[in-house]
Amino acid sequence: MKDNILNEVVKYLIPFIQIFGIYVIFHGHLSPGGGFAGGTIIGVSFILYRIVFGKEYTRKKLNFNKLLRFMTMGVFLYGVLKGYIFISGGNDLHLPLPPLGTPGDILSGGFLLPLNIIVGIIVAVTMYFFYCLFDEGEI
Amino acid sequence: MEIFSIIMLLFLIFSAIAVSAMKDLLGSIIVFMVYSLIMAILWQQLEAPDLAVTEAAVGAGITTVLLIVTLKSVRGLKK
Repeated sequence: MKDNILNEVVKYLIPFIQIFGIYVIFHGHLSPGGGFAGGTIIGVSFILYRIVFGKEYTRKKLNFNKLLRFMTMGVFLYGVLKGYIFISGGNDLHLPLPPLGTPGDILSGGFLLPLNIIVGIIVAVTMYFFYCLFDEGEI
Repeated sequence: MEIFSIIMLLFLIFSAIAVSAMKDLLGSIIVFMVYSLIMAILWQQLEAPDLAVTEAAVGAGITTVLLIVTLKSVRGLKK
């Protein structure tokens, strides 16, 4: 799509959408929101980028192999972290755990923040792939 | 906030009936997005803001885009 006004407006709008998504993810254990809602907002920004700037230009910026590598690394890390929590949770094994911090800070709540970040990455890439598959049948 | 919730519930019922009664498919999708936004406001009134954020992002954003893209690919859009 070639439209100067649309291109300029979207160029300034997309960073704010992504900052809001990152805010929702990073405050997931303190306020409403979390990994799923923030990841959906970041995925919407990718979809907007693809709608406005076209298929070929977006393929260079958001490479399929790179995105798939991000997503599979996220799934692997999620399984490892969540399995570690399940093992070390109530078994009296005294495995090392992250410090809990003071309540109300961003760096608190143990494993909740990294799990929220991983869920956000996976959901954002999945929403972008959904749009590509629905629109053209290929990514 | 009782009166506000009752007005939003009336809007919700009206838009839910309008989605199934409309003949135009694109207009039906847009009214469905309005339904989703009113549902997000109602989740906030019911003191479930987490669900409200998710409903506003998924129901009003992603679902509408996917439905419009599907309508375009089955050539249901009248030019």
